[in-house]
Amino acid sequence: MIKMENISKTYSRDGFPVTALREASFSVDDGDFVVIRGVSGSGKSTLLNILGCLLSPSTGKYFFDGEDVSHKNDAELSRIRSERIGFVFQSFHLLPRTTAIENVELPMIYADRKINRSRAAEALARVGLAHREHHFATELSGGEQQRVAIARALINDPALILADEPTGNLDESSGAGVMTILHELNGEGRTIVLATHDQAVTAQARRVLLIRNGVLCDSEAAS
Amino acid sequence: MNVLHFFRSILRTLSRNKIRALLMMAGVSIGIAALTILTSIGESTRRETMKRFKNMLGTFDTIIIRPGSSKNRGMVSLTNVDPSLRFEDASAIATQVPQVRQLALVQNAVDIDVKSRDHSGTPAIFGVSSNWLELRGDEVAEGEFFSEDDVRSLVRVAILGADAEKLLFPDEDPIGKTVRIGDVPFIVRGVMVARGAGPAGGSLDNLIFIPVTTASKRLFNRDFLTMLIAQLKDADQGQLAIEQIQELLRARHHLAPGALDDFNLTNPRAVMAQVVTMGSTIRKLLLIVAVLATGIGGIVIMSVTLVGVSERRKETGVRRAVGASRNVILVQFLLEAVFLSCAGGGVGIVIGIGGTQLVSRLQHLPFLLQPEAVFTATLLSIGLGLLFGVYPAWKAAMTDPIDALRD
Repeated sequence: MIKMENISKTYSRDGFPVTALREASFSVDDGDFVVIRGVSGSGKSTLLNILGCLLSPSTGKYFFDGEDVSHKNDAELSRIRSERIGFVFQSFHLLPRTTAIENVELPMIYADRKINRSRAAEALARVGLAHREHHFATELSGGEQQRVAIARALINDPALILADEPTGNLDESSGAGVMTILHELNGEGRTIVLATHDQAVTAQARRVLLIRNGVLCDSEAAS
Repeated sequence: MNVLHFFRSILRTLSRNKIRALLMMAGVSIGIAALTILTSIGESTRRETMKRFKNMLGTFDTIIIRPGSSKNRGMVSLTNVDPSLRFEDASAIATQVPQVRQLALVQNAVDIDVKSRDHSGTPAIFGVSSNWLELRGDEVAEGEFFSEDDVRSLVRVAILGADAEKLLFPDEDPIGKTVRIGDVPFIVRGVMVARGAGPAGGSLDNLIFIPVTTASKRLFNRDFLTMLIAQLKDADQGQLAIEQIQELLRARHHLAPGALDDFNLTNPRAVMAQVVTMGSTIRKLLLIVAVLATGIGGIVIMSVTLVGVSERRKETGVRRAVGASRNVILVQFLLEAVFLSCAGGGVGIVIGIGGTQLVSRLQHLPFLLQPEAVFTATLLSIGLGLLFGVYPAWKAAMTDPIDALRD
């Protein structure tokens, strides 16, 4: 599903080049559950943003479903994000002044497919929030907000779900609930790539990539 | 992209940010309302001014000749008229100036008591020649005007202006009744059709017409005229006619070269043109004010949208992450601005129409809505939204989703 070849990313900060990611090469198979582990500033987010087509690599090649997407333009990358990738963020990022179901519908607006409120309702039911459809984001608990975010990530039926510290802002039981849902999605055949520094989360992964100072230096199997 | 849903989501965004939406709308409304009112009122003022001038002058193809140098102006009374313009002058102009088609003779005065049996007042008295109706284009509503024979035989007949009729005969038919002008009795023979307001807004109907000869010999006892109205053969030759009349009168009055004229000539067309020019200058100034007000509306749109763009940075980041391209974000913010600007424009047009009606009523102008003004206002609203929305929208589109989503 994903193949990265010698991916590097260099930023310019105050006129000086800073390398956030150095010569990363790895691949993720369909249906994999991969954890990227690293402390903050290690290049973890950069890697995730490249994977999510929010950022283009400086050098190297990124194949998504066999297609080279490393140098595609904004519209093409947006389309890939819209139809094939679902994002789950550490701080949920639901739209304020917008109800749960409207948040879930949001990605449908930007995809070339029919909008279907019942699908959005199903997605909310899927994460156990059928009764919260018309609540505003601010009226939901952290765990509930993150589950709305997962429903939003699911709505266009993406093959890949990218989760950046999805349990980072949640208490233990909410976090566990979120992880359960992610595992269920993985069980349905969706590929999950999750960035975290949480040991407990790492322990649940089928495969762990370690990143340190921008170098993807190790790859280990958790079990 | 799903266009219908895209629009719905824009409307939802606007409806959930009411204060912002109202601010933006208000900015545009004020400008558009000002524009609508000022253009409409400007146009109806122009037309009303022309109408009132026409009311006063009847026709524009005339030259007005008054006695005295151009310094003495204003209403004539029995005492303050320069006696320089005589019946013989009138005959000379009528027969010797090639440009003159016909000439009306006028001897008028104010402040003369007029009485009917039950009422009294001081309408202006106009002694005129019998060609008055033909020259002026005025009409008789009831009865008839006096004839050339009447003028020649100095009959004492009076034709009442519409207001004079109301003043002297409020409850009865005046035809055949007697009015006493000064102490001289006159038989009412006709009533004029109302002419309406003059350029200053006053009535042009509070007057009584009598034969000019009767006025001269039986009422005022003076053999000079207060005004001559020369109708031209060619309305475009006003200046030529003025020169011809001036030459003739100077010769007849034996004025030495260099001496001031003891009469003055007015070309109503030239006066009218001057008034209209002045009016259009004022209109242009008002229009600039209105355009400035509208421009300020645009700046309000821009600043409020800019604040919105930075307040909604995170939202923009989320939209980008879930699949909105830069162009979609650009269009979204631009459409928001255009929607609000159009809504504001719509409100502005409604206020503008109401305001125009109000000002028209207060100023006694005809209510005249300029379709072009409404059309321009509509285009301007859309244009404002686009023009002042494009920079904020571009800024939003350039938002880096990664930065925006970073805590």
